[in-house]
Amino acid sequence: MIRLAASETLIPAPNIEYYELSPILIVFGVGVLAVLVEAFLPRAHRLHAQLALCLTGLVAAFVVVCTLTDEAQENARAVPQKVAAEGAVAIDGMTLFLQGTILLLGVVAVLLLAERRLGGEFAASAATVPGSAAEKETTRLGWVQTEIYPLLMFSIGGMLIFPAANDLLLMFVALEVLSLPLYLLCGLARRRRLLSQEAALKYFLLGAFSSAFFLYGIALLYGYAGSVRLSDINAAVSGSEDNDALLLIGMALLAVGLLFKVGAVPFHAWTPDVYQGAPTPVTAFMAAATKVAAFGALLRVFYVGLGGAKWDWHPMFWGVAMVTMLFGSLVALVQTDVKRMLAYSSIAHAGFILVGLVATNAEGLSATMFYLLAYGFSTIAAFAIISLVRDGSGEATHLSQWAGLGRRSPVVAGMFALLLLAFAGIPLTSGFTAKFAVFSASASAGGTPLIVVGVLSSTVAAFFYIRVIVLMFFSAPVTDGPRVAVPSLTTALAVWIGVAVTVFLGVLPQPVLDLADNASFLIS
Amino acid sequence: MNPANYLYLSALLFTIGAAGVLMRRNAIIVFMCVELMLNAANLTFVTFARQHGNLEGQIIALFVMVVAAAEVVVGLAIIVTMQRTRRSASVDDAHLLKY
Amino acid sequence: MDGNVYIPIAVLAALGFGFAAFSVVTGALTGPKRYNRAKLDAYECGIEPTPQPVGGGRVSVKYYTIAMLFIIFDIEIIFLYPWAVTFDSFGISILVEMALFIVTVFVPLIYVWRRGGLDWDH
Repeated sequence: MIRLAASETLIPAPNIEYYELSPILIVFGVGVLAVLVEAFLPRAHRLHAQLALCLTGLVAAFVVVCTLTDEAQENARAVPQKVAAEGAVAIDGMTLFLQGTILLLGVVAVLLLAERRLGGEFAASAATVPGSAAEKETTRLGWVQTEIYPLLMFSIGGMLIFPAANDLLLMFVALEVLSLPLYLLCGLARRRRLLSQEAALKYFLLGAFSSAFFLYGIALLYGYAGSVRLSDINAAVSGSEDNDALLLIGMALLAVGLLFKVGAVPFHAWTPDVYQGAPTPVTAFMAAATKVAAFGALLRVFYVGLGGAKWDWHPMFWGVAMVTMLFGSLVALVQTDVKRMLAYSSIAHAGFILVGLVATNAEGLSATMFYLLAYGFSTIAAFAIISLVRDGSGEATHLSQWAGLGRRSPVVAGMFALLLLAFAGIPLTSGFTAKFAVFSASASAGGTPLIVVGVLSSTVAAFFYIRVIVLMFFSAPVTDGPRVAVPSLTTALAVWIGVAVTVFLGVLPQPVLDLADNASFLIS
Repeated sequence: MNPANYLYLSALLFTIGAAGVLMRRNAIIVFMCVELMLNAANLTFVTFARQHGNLEGQIIALFVMVVAAAEVVVGLAIIVTMQRTRRSASVDDAHLLKY
Repeated sequence: MDGNVYIPIAVLAALGFGFAAFSVVTGALTGPKRYNRAKLDAYECGIEPTPQPVGGGRVSVKYYTIAMLFIIFDIEIIFLYPWAVTFDSFGISILVEMALFIVTVFVPLIYVWRRGGLDWDH
């Protein structure tokens, strides 16, 4: 009888909680199906099939997230708490709140991507060389690059895992899964293709560079703790004093990778270029959803995994938050391109959100989550409106072209003004509620200097937001200026959703604030 | 052999990679330097796996290789597209996006 | 300790040699024999070598497409190695997992094939 050296006892199969993980699985499954749609459906039917598939998937995933939240509350627990997939995924309050936010933003993003009436934002065929005969031919035939939908779904899937990852390896894989499709999406613009490809190249090279830092940070933390599970790292941090260098350097490198993704100073350099060059619907999605996912991961790593080393990272984040707020607001002052201005404004907002993070208490966590939700919807609507203001050559993003827009199209300009007021943090908009929440959380944690800097940069920021409003409503319209194009139903719906959420969270924020409060819980 | 030597080597490789990213001008070479950084991290993982006596680090190295391959594919796609458009892979030629 | 443990190795070796001998002999007996330049070259691989152009020459962009596809599908196989080593220790679940993984990798292959990515003259 021949017996190989196999062990007699079976290793038990890993326990996978399919139900708790189903939002993620649904989104990835839809992504795979969408690839098959690309492979087998004739070109004419692809767009509608993709739209139906993606929207159904996102809504289904959202329903599961809501059910999970609901069930946990019925079980007499205030928040859901479960570690799934052998401890690699944490399904807790924060995860579900942020996953819900990302899925809703994803729905809005799909609606934006589906815009066809304005001639489409995406290249007819990304493989053709700009200006070539092949490009003209594919455009004439009315091709569309429907691969954007599977790419978007994979990116959303990565974003759903990113804040839930309880394990640094999973977090790294999620980071790449969310980033790689975004790099490609950035390069697919229909007009100004050189600019778009350049944005993709810059985003890719800098993104890969930062993820290498992130990975090396993980390697050092693994050396320090002997494990990449956040709970094990936390135990090692609280348990021992030795080998501090590995911990400190690993922590710093990890922070580099994550702060790059949220676009905080000094790792912000890619933001304006990429936001400007990418197709506007992609910019909208990136600005909103990537921030949500990346802040979720930042919160989990530093609250759960490195909470014991708080006094080592706390000062660093204080500094980063201050510099980010000031730098974003000041540089936005001198911008002449609307997309670049909003990019710098998003850097400033990353600073405000970091104020919530450095509060390191439950209020800070819930305020950060609320801010992410509020900012996500406002920013996605703002970029959607930018894609509507057009002249003969496509989008008119230069600020001077926006002069007098309010007289020609008061409704759209009015909505844009409202969103800018929300960014500035004027009362009765979501921006005010969100800023108030992070600042009060910071106050309770003794962050007075941060609040002073925050209020100061808010004032600076308010100046350039209001400057745009003045330009739109009180300057004489430029002759031959851009028009507000009449979009198809999907884009209009996306804008209205964004504006409605912005107003709702400003006027009646309490239900959502309560939701965020209930969800401000992390499994350690 | 002392495992610390492998750590020094990997730190050195990581630094060479990072310096290359910052100094080289050809997008493909910049990208190769990023890959060097990822492999430096891999060496660190494997060394620590040996030091701690668990397999986790070795498994992570496998995952990193797969992720790096995916990154290569996306990166090459972007760089080759640029190259076909401009007949150049120099990052200095990519300067349309400025203030 | 008896020599029985070496039987599988011996069987495997016999199978290997047997297969090689079978292929060579059958090929020589049944295959058509047409001689051309490629077959008479010093290093025969079925393709006539192209002369090296001056200055290295340009590589066709098609080559990158094939290279990219090769890399991605080649590296995915890496997961099969640890899987094969520990296959015995797990139950049926790991077989299902790997089947799922391979199906997932197969889907992009179908996509590439349908879109003509495997077609050199496309």
